[in-house]
Amino acid sequence: MPDVQALVNEFIIKLKKRKVEGSQATARMTAELLRSVISQQRVPYNNQAGALIDAIKAVGEQLIAANPVELAVGNIVRRVLHIIREEDLSLATAAVAGLNLSAVSDDEDDGEREDHPVLSAAAVAAAARSTLRPPSLQTLLEDMPDSAAVPQSSSSGGDSEGKSKSADKSSRSRKLKHDIIEAVNELIQDIATCHEQISEQAVEHIHQNEVILTLGRSRTVMEFLCAAKEKKRSFRVFVAEGAPRYQGHVLAKELVARGLQTTLITDSAVFAMISRVNMVIVGAHAVMANGGVIAPVGLNMVALAAQRHAVPFVVLAGTHKLCPLYPHNPEVLLNELKSPSELLDFGEFSDCMDFGSGNGSPLLHVVNPAFDYVPPKLVSLFITDTGGHNPSYMYRLIADYYSADDLVVQRRPASGN
Amino acid sequence: MWWRSASFILDKGLNDEVQDESESLRVSPSNTSMADTLQNPNPKISAYYQTRAAHHGVVTSDWLAQAQAAVGRHPDDLPPPKVEDSGKPFSVIDEFNSWRKQPDLAEAVAAIRALASVIRSSQATTMMELEIELKKASDSLKSWDTTSISLTAGCDLFMRYVTRTSALEYENFNSAKSRLIERAERFGEISYKARRIIAMLGQDFIFDGCTILVHGFSRVVLEVLKTAAQNKKLFRVFCTEGRPDRTGLRLSNEMAKLDVPVKLLIDSAVAYTMDEVDMVFVGADGVVESGGIINMMGTYQIALVAHSMNKPVYVAAESYKFARLYPLDQKDMAPALRPIDFGVPIPSKVEVETSARDYTPPQYLTLLFTDLGVLTPSVVSDELIQLYL
Repeated sequence: MPDVQALVNEFIIKLKKRKVEGSQATARMTAELLRSVISQQRVPYNNQAGALIDAIKAVGEQLIAANPVELAVGNIVRRVLHIIREEDLSLATAAVAGLNLSAVSDDEDDGEREDHPVLSAAAVAAAARSTLRPPSLQTLLEDMPDSAAVPQSSSSGGDSEGKSKSADKSSRSRKLKHDIIEAVNELIQDIATCHEQISEQAVEHIHQNEVILTLGRSRTVMEFLCAAKEKKRSFRVFVAEGAPRYQGHVLAKELVARGLQTTLITDSAVFAMISRVNMVIVGAHAVMANGGVIAPVGLNMVALAAQRHAVPFVVLAGTHKLCPLYPHNPEVLLNELKSPSELLDFGEFSDCMDFGSGNGSPLLHVVNPAFDYVPPKLVSLFITDTGGHNPSYMYRLIADYYSADDLVVQRRPASGN
Repeated sequence: MWWRSASFILDKGLNDEVQDESESLRVSPSNTSMADTLQNPNPKISAYYQTRAAHHGVVTSDWLAQAQAAVGRHPDDLPPPKVEDSGKPFSVIDEFNSWRKQPDLAEAVAAIRALASVIRSSQATTMMELEIELKKASDSLKSWDTTSISLTAGCDLFMRYVTRTSALEYENFNSAKSRLIERAERFGEISYKARRIIAMLGQDFIFDGCTILVHGFSRVVLEVLKTAAQNKKLFRVFCTEGRPDRTGLRLSNEMAKLDVPVKLLIDSAVAYTMDEVDMVFVGADGVVESGGIINMMGTYQIALVAHSMNKPVYVAAESYKFARLYPLDQKDMAPALRPIDFGVPIPSKVEVETSARDYTPPQYLTLLFTDLGVLTPSVVSDELIQLYL
């Protein structure tokens, strides 16, 4: 475990110094780190899931605190926690179902035993699944008390099958970790291939002779556009340069290299050019639970221009960018200020930056925010690796990938599990 | 060339009959409905809103003290002892009314508890008989006040909850019955605790230094504000008066007790103060399939003003208020009328709009806080479809 701790510390330092660029890379590294934590973690004989969850929460808390703006870290931590809970539950229901069936077969003559709630395995599984699903009217109305019946029946089966049960458990403990690590591997795979999955949908959205607008450079957008080009769609792209980093210039070069007709404009020219555009396609830094988007600076302006001229505003985002928190939440830092040197050269403006004057603070402040918040009503469509969705559908994806207990990643101090 | 036909002339004939009935009740607006009769004697006057007025309308403090003493106890107390009922047949309406008298208990929760006691005191010997009894009790509760949406929705959900369980596959009737009672009490508990969950979710959205606009008196919203105040958040509240019941005055009293700065507005002053407001909090009498809400008269107005000024409108509603209704416009619901006391006599030729509630379409709402979590209005229809399909 000192081994793992060193890895964790290394990653935390990288996050603090903002050495890791981009949410996909961050997500992948977080997932790999958590996988090592799980495999190295020694679990007790009973309640292994609880121990694993605690360990992940402890590490997760530190990671999130290191870079609160990079929401992908928190997302992956919560996904892993959800995976642990799910795998634990599916193993438990499989075990109980197995016990139930064997109980029925062994004690057919015992009338009293039959009176006991020997529910079918399907019912037990359904009850178990419902405790993991987020509360809905349906889960509220399903058999919640039956989950109390589950340990009852397992204990009644236990005294007749003591030995087989203990053998079962030890194989179960190995199986749990194995299943979890498999699921985390799948998660890493999904993160790595999210661009391909999104690009596959390009042909449905980009049609012949269309004009697309984008701002700055997003790798997802680039692959999306190139995939459409591969399928022999001819279209034009307007690229807004994306001051102050001017990544739009890089994107324009790449698109020209692939044979796409490209026009480069300044950010301020977006409102002037938007009437000639059929569709706006952009990437995102993170997607919040209400469907709002944290996107590179300048995109709120583009979204407003698009709404004003009734141009669809399409956001491409991999599922690792989906955050279960709402933007008002104090944990969520909506913005980060980057270095002002990207805007102004220190040399030219050194006389304005005079700290010796009057009150001790210079009259000229240079602010360089990194992100913008785009409210959900400005977004027409989200394209994720699972398909195209409405902003109001985001809650459903969140319910699939995250558990309600993990919204606050905090290790409970007196956890007796 | 289309112009509006003067259909109000035709409607006048119909309305004249309604006027005569409501005239008789204008004299005593705060009378709670009779507990003895099984049928609500004045179906045109909404008992739901009358009760609300009686509970939360403007009252003098000593009247309030007397009323509290008459109710006698804490809302958490057990229902009145069953001994008296042994003489006459069990009446679900009586049970319901005895629960309903407690001002802190929501009507739907009272109905659920009444239905739970129906199961408990039932003499049925088979499952089928029990279900039929329950259905009859539920129908009589619903017909007693057709204007209350949460009552209807609560009864429907209860019936589904209790009867839709694999526990009924038991061979032994008594154990099945005790299971049903367990589930019924459980549902009652959940509904009762719903307000606390909503309060915890909702108070998260209140930040330091914000101004909240509240319409009239809603127990759920009060709970949210109380929780926020207990968590040491600094905020101020603008409270509309909420004519004709003037329930807003009650809310301002409560806020003053919590040391929260509160300002009372007349209903017409909402647009005037809207630019100082950061968010609007309302409760709901019912949440409909489209994701819109049905609430006290004036809510739609406030939501329109808030929307035009880009202020978020948050609704706090328990999940048992989700109803299978889809109103297309304001008149598309069962009318719920409430006599209005203007303080001066109104000539009989003058018509008065006495509807007690309005419908707010979902596009003016931002988020709904329910015990199922924080939802956007479009999620409501999803939930209902999942449940009833």
